[in-house]
Amino acid sequence: MGKRIIKQCLCLLVLISFEINAKEYLIVLKDHLFYPSKITIPENQKVKLIIENQDDTPEEFDSFDLNREKVLYPHRKSVIYIGPLKKGRYAFFGEFSPNSATGVVIVNNKEAQHANN
Amino acid sequence: MLITSLVVSLNQLLPIAILLVLLQVFAKQSAHHICICLMVGVAMSFLYMYSALWASQWFDHKGLEYIQIAMCIAIFIAVLVFVIQQSVTAFNFAIITTIVMYLSHYVIYLNSFWKNSDAAESLFIGTFLGSGICLSFCVLLYFFMSGVKHRFSNYPILILIALNSASKLLVALDLASQIDLITNTNPIWDLRHWISEHSELGRVLRALIGYEATPDLTTVLTYIASTALFLIFCYVIPASISKERV
Repeated sequence: MGKRIIKQCLCLLVLISFEINAKEYLIVLKDHLFYPSKITIPENQKVKLIIENQDDTPEEFDSFDLNREKVLYPHRKSVIYIGPLKKGRYAFFGEFSPNSATGVVIVNNKEAQHANN
Repeated sequence: MLITSLVVSLNQLLPIAILLVLLQVFAKQSAHHICICLMVGVAMSFLYMYSALWASQWFDHKGLEYIQIAMCIAIFIAVLVFVIQQSVTAFNFAIITTIVMYLSHYVIYLNSFWKNSDAAESLFIGTFLGSGICLSFCVLLYFFMSGVKHRFSNYPILILIALNSASKLLVALDLASQIDLITNTNPIWDLRHWISEHSELGRVLRALIGYEATPDLTTVLTYIASTALFLIFCYVIPASISKERV
């Protein structure tokens, strides 16, 4: 029975990836601030966020709205996929610097674009 | 910094403490045994912290997610084995893996900001307060669950353990979609206006039973299926073992 449970769990790990043409968005974390802090992405599409932490300290990318949580190590790049999402605003923040490191993903039906502060 | 330390410590310590309380109420382990588990877990969190820096760059920056998915599944299985067989090894494995998974984040936070002399005091006070609140909550939970066990036997505890274990698979599911292993669907309901995951109650429910305000269909199905499987295994396996003995 134990073997069967392990097999089921391995199947979960070997799920096929659907990484097809996900648009990429670069976010830079510098001085505990996200640049850009506002990202506009298209509705119902999966996108790839590449987050580069240029600070000397780690940060944790956190979003309850997007169900995402990831430690961003100093001077390293991290990748997070989000979507497909409905129209709306989805807040994210740095858990270690929640007062300064904040941002929002705006989902609309227009062409995807970046928008700085 | 004080509030941040308090919130981060609560977020990371609560899931560990809740699992420990639930397993302890279900089948009590000695204080000496638990102390050793905690110490090994803390030591392994430091090891994980140092190795995570490299692991984060594996598999196109997805290495940590793969490790964490494996840990979530391992916790689910270890808790299931503990509940079925009361195996000490399974208890150790579940607690130590949970400590490594959650405490390592807090160790990373502490290690980074500790060097800053202005922040050290706030970090210490925040950690002290966070640990105190966590401990108080868990003492109350322990006595409440012990009372429930005394009145209704182990069944309510078992259901809570099943829900708590299923929540670990939801974490694995979120991590899998985070690295594009699976695709999210749109949320099937939105309870953010009722209980936000930002709120105190939302955080406690998230740590206790894996509450999500905006789950998608895959999340709900996984949660129901894994809880049901957990309870079925708990019922079927001990019954088959006792039949074999007869």
